[in-house]
This record gives sequence, C-alpha cells and structure tokens, in this order.
Amino acid sequence: MFLLVWRKLKLDPLKTLLTALALGSVIAVMLVFQGFREGQYFQLSRMVMNRQGDLIAVQAGVSNFIAVRSTLPQFSRGEVEAVPGVSAVHPLTTIGLIYEQDGIRTPLYLVVYDTLGGPVKLSEGRTLKEDHDIIIDKSLAKKHNLKAGDELPIYGFGFKIVGIVEEEVAFMMPFAYASYEGMLDLYFETEIAPDITIFPMLSFMLIEVSPESNREDVAKAIEEAVPVVDIFTPEQLSKHDVALGKLFFGPIIGLLVTISSIIGFLVMGLIMYSEVNGEIRNYGIMKALGFSNLKLAGVVIAQALLLVLFAMPAGLALGAGLAAFINETAPLYLIRIFDYTILLQTALASLIFAAAGAMIPFLTVQRADPMIVFQEVQ
Amino acid sequence: MIRWALKSLLSNKGSLLGSAAGIAGAFILVIFFDAVFRGESTQIVAYAENTSPDIWVMQKGVANMHMATSFLWDWKADNVEELEGVKRVTPISYLNTIIRAGEVEAFAFIVGLLPDADRAGPWEMGKGRKIEKSGEIVIPDVLAKLTGTGIGDKVMITDRAFTIVGLSKGAYSSANAIAFVPFDDLESILKSGGTYSFLLVDLEEGYDPRMMAAKIKNEVEKVNALTQEEFIRNDFAMAMQMGVEIIFMMSVICSTLAVLITGFTAYMQVVKKKREIAIIKAMGTGRASLMGGILMQSAMIAFTGFIMAAGFSFVIIPHIPALAPQLTLVVSFWAVAKMGLLAIVISIAGALIPAWNVTRLDPALVFNG
Repeated sequence: MFLLVWRKLKLDPLKTLLTALALGSVIAVMLVFQGFREGQYFQLSRMVMNRQGDLIAVQAGVSNFIAVRSTLPQFSRGEVEAVPGVSAVHPLTTIGLIYEQDGIRTPLYLVVYDTLGGPVKLSEGRTLKEDHDIIIDKSLAKKHNLKAGDELPIYGFGFKIVGIVEEEVAFMMPFAYASYEGMLDLYFETEIAPDITIFPMLSFMLIEVSPESNREDVAKAIEEAVPVVDIFTPEQLSKHDVALGKLFFGPIIGLLVTISSIIGFLVMGLIMYSEVNGEIRNYGIMKALGFSNLKLAGVVIAQALLLVLFAMPAGLALGAGLAAFINETAPLYLIRIFDYTILLQTALASLIFAAAGAMIPFLTVQRADPMIVFQEVQ
Repeated sequence: MIRWALKSLLSNKGSLLGSAAGIAGAFILVIFFDAVFRGESTQIVAYAENTSPDIWVMQKGVANMHMATSFLWDWKADNVEELEGVKRVTPISYLNTIIRAGEVEAFAFIVGLLPDADRAGPWEMGKGRKIEKSGEIVIPDVLAKLTGTGIGDKVMITDRAFTIVGLSKGAYSSANAIAFVPFDDLESILKSGGTYSFLLVDLEEGYDPRMMAAKIKNEVEKVNALTQEEFIRNDFAMAMQMGVEIIFMMSVICSTLAVLITGFTAYMQVVKKKREIAIIKAMGTGRASLMGGILMQSAMIAFTGFIMAAGFSFVIIPHIPALAPQLTLVVSFWAVAKMGLLAIVISIAGALIPAWNVTRLDPALVFNG
C-alpha cells in the first residue's frame, strides 16, 4: 500500500505538492489556533513565575496576580519579615493604566518593583536607574513605534524609556516596569490620584524563604501571623491565572479548532474524492478481482492516512513559520506550537479528520462497476 | 470557453461543494474570530450603553472605563450637580477585578451603587431582585449558570462574601461580567472613602451634552467629562484595538488556506479534463479565452465558498451563544464584506497554478490513448 501511494505521489509532483500544501495548511491552521491558546496560558503563567520569590503574599481573599486589585497595608511588610523562616521580603505594586498615543489607547500593566520582581529578558537598553525610568515590553514598543531613549507620557507624566524587555505580556496586555520613586512621582505630578492613600502603594510581596526552612510551613506561619495576607507559591498563583485564562479562551479557541478540523475533514474529503474519481477504473479492477467494499474502504482510508502523514511535516513547518512570523511581528500574541500535547492532539485530530474525510468518496467506490474496466479510456 | 468551464465544474458538484465548503470554513474562521472580538468589545460598552447618561465625568487623564481606574472626590459630584442644566448626577464606584463562585473565577466589572442610584443599576433583571442592603450582589444570569450558583448562594470579591439576590440579563461577557453591589461595600474593598469612580450626568432638556461636558471640565477641578458617544467610542475602540493585529494575521493565514483549496480544486479540474482542454486548444481557442475559463472556475469555487460562509455567519453564528452562553458574538457586515473582497483575490491567486498548467498543455495530447 505504501509503495502504491508513493508511486502515485511521484506520478504528478505538482499535484502532490498542492495536496501536501493544502493538507499541511489545514494542519498548520490547527496548530496555530491551539498554539495561540497555549501561548496565552503560558504568558499568564510566565508573568507570575518571572517575578521570582519563593512565596507571594496577596491581599486576603485575592488568589490571582493578573487583573486583580490587591492592596496590602504598608505595615504588613514588617510583620511578614518578622515571621521565622522568612529571609527577605520584596515589595511589588501593580497598576492598570491606559497609554494613549495618536488616538490609540493601549491598556498597560505597570509593575513597580524595588529589589526583586523586575523584568527578566531585557533585549535593549538598561535597567532602571533614575526616578523617571521605565522599561516597556517589546509589543508596546512595536505597536507605538517606541524605542529606548523616547519619552512615554502617561496621564501627562513623562516617563523615559530606558529599556525594552521581551516576553512580558499577558492577557493581550503589555507590561511595563518602573521604580517606587517613579510611581510616587507619577502620583504626585499627575492628577491620577486625588489622594495618595487611595492608590495602592503595596500590592504583593515577594518572599524569600531561608534555605533551612520549609516553604509550606513558612507560608502557613505567615498566614497565621499576618491575617491580612494570603500566601501562595508562584506555581499556585500562576495556576489560578491560567484557570482564569482557560475560562476566557477555552470555548473560543475550542470552536476555532473544531472549525479548522471540519475544514480538514472537507479538504481531505475533496482530495480523496478527486483521487477516487481519477482512479475509478482501478477500483473497478479491484472489485472485479474480488475486493469487498470493506476492503476498498480500507484502501481509501489507508491512502488518506498516509497522505496526512506525508503532510504532517509540511504542516509543522508551515505552522512553525507562521508562529515565528506572528511572534516577531506582533509579540503581544505568543503562538506556542512546540508543546507535545498540542502536537499529539493535532496529529490525532488530523488522522481522525483524514479517516472521516476519506469516507466521503466511499459511495463512489461502492458504486464502481467492475464493467468500467472494459470501457474505453476517457 | 467560459460556458465549458462552468459546465465542467457543475458536472462535478461534489468536488465544487467540497472545496467551496472548505473555503467557507476558512472564511468562517476569520469572521468568527472577528465576531469574538467585536462581541466582547460590544459587551464591554454594555453598561455605558444601557445606563446611557448624557455625560460621564471621571478623573482627569482617564477617558474610558475598561481596565481604567478613576477616583473623584465626592464633593466634585456636588459641584457638577450645581451647574445650570444638570438634572441629576449619579455617582458610582467601580472596580475591575475577579469574582469567585465556588472554584470558578471570572473577570468582573463591579459597580458600587448608592441606595438611590437605581438608574445606574442592572437594566434588565432575569430573576430575583435588585440589591437593597449590605452584603448583597446582583450577578449576570450567564455567570450564575457557568458557576452553578443561584439566588441565595455566596460569591466572593477579595475576602468579602456576597449573597446573590438577583440575576441580571445582558450583563455578561468573558472579559467583563457586570456585578452590582452596595456602594459602601465596594468602597470598603477599595479603601477609597470619600471618593467616587464615575459620575453619570443627566442633563435638562435642551442642553447640549458636548457644551456641558466642556463646561464641567472648565468649572470642576481636575476632572474629565465626556459625552456618552465619546465615552463609548473610546472603550469600544480600545477593546477592538487589542485584537486588530491577531485578526489581521488570522485573515492572512485563512486566506492562504482558501487560495490553496481553490487552487487545488481548479487544478484537479484541469488534470481531469486535460484531454478536453487539449481538444479546445487544438481547435484554436486563444490563451486569453482559456485563462478566462480557468479564472471563471476559480471564481465560482471561491464565491460559492463565500456565499456559504456569509450564510453561516448571519444565520448560525448568532445562535452559537445559545449553546455556549459564555460567548458574545457580533457578526459585522463589514467583516463579511471583507471576505467577499478577499474572494476576488483568492479567485485570481487560485487560478494561477491551473492556468500555468493549461498553457503548458500540448494539443497533441488528444491523440494519446
């Protein structure tokens, strides 16, 4: 069977190329959609994990990092520091802002940090030194054509971009990083805070646990000693954020992947229909030789499965190319296709739609009259 | 030649329908993606649209509601109310955060309402009643369905438990489920004593909202005032902006897929009918005429796909939320029309390979066995 298909493929290279491209692109589209979903989850998870720290303190009752308002009292920092097993506490404040340039508004998540929790992958410029320094994500820089050295006015306050960071986005929103001095200047010099007490001065605390202490025990001890905070490991917090992302993206991407699988099914059906129509005499001969309808169905399905197997490398290459293109031109959206679950799911879905699609021309095969062998070639 | 092209394509209806359905699927992917962003963006302005004041007043520097934080001193509401032409000022507090029901968490716009602020509350109740006292909450019916909660159940906002007393209609989307709680409760969560987030300003009849907004900005210290139209436009544009690039890229990807399907089908037609084409060529039919025929086949495949996609988009997509209530889908006429334009490009691009194949076809082929 493999030899037969291989010979057929070699017979018309242009047709083979088009078939592989058509099937490969369906596989690539499925990979891109699934990669988009996984990319969103990965970004959500990465934003918490990038902040580092062994434990993260949040306002009691809050259990996420993204899209929440967590406000901790200033005194809680000292209380956490006093808990045995805590070696260091680093403050972190997050503020949701809107950046506007040329009439285009972009929501921006400003992370204010001191000694830990800053950006990880600086690709251009330097870290924060002066009060007005700000580091922005590459996606914001690209969208608004900004570079290190430019001014970033927020509500009229002039931050100076000193660095561009990569992979600091989540939930289709770029992150930016500033110092506490910068945040206070922003509060005082603009009118965004009618009173400094209203704006959060402390949102989270990144806690380092001394090497000899057990992380879970320390977390428990902090929650007992400081009831205004809840303590999570970065893994727990990122899991909550991902769960939130799943609630949002799950049904949307699920439908898109279903539609692309239906396209795959139709394309496969179309290809096999053309194949069977073109080879109807051969099927007639096979019938004359005593092949049952079931066996002929097996031949068609095997051919479809082999075609998909041939198209998979093309699909993977196309998908990887598309993902790289999107990641480069629009870094806000991470397309993450090289994940074994995505690859397995797509491979499985492709094989299923191939087998199902191959059944479309089966009626033609079933109707193939062995007498057709004796007809003149058309 | 064109008649032959149409006849030959129609003689193979299965192939035409299969490829058209494949192309329709590619178009539907783009339209659906656009419908998701448009639906979410539309729902993001649902609160503003349904409460519909003449003017929105907020903190200076703020110009929208979604993802924004705004605080105004409470005395500024009095200042606005004192202005001639202002009929009523309804202050609200507002928080963009997460609401937790059991194990499920969802994004939410929490609106804090003063006791007499009914005009800023839920605009359509499905079940139960509006909030009356501290600790009560009205959540969207869809959120209740998704979280398996109902009247009398508890939901959490930060560490504060609220009892569901009512389920509102039309107030849910994945990005913002609108929940209503008493003002004092939200003020306490926000630790924002003495402030409001937004003021909903209704004007006396005959006053121009644009002029009044300018007057408010001039006469009340450090505030921004926008007409209802501007306020909605800002939020909608920002939400749509978040998806513009990805929608464009998905359009490119899906169009390429459609080109390949069209090209494949048109090519297969040529391969299948190459003896007939050879005869046509041998009879002296010109290259332009042959190309016209191929283009016609390609266009027919692409446009059948487009019509199927348009039909699906206008008839089926609007009903998907009935099965998946967490989705808010708005099909835009322009998104569908764009696919129509794309179908023209696809027709031409899809015809290239078979056209090249036809030009290389030897009329002597007709004498082959």
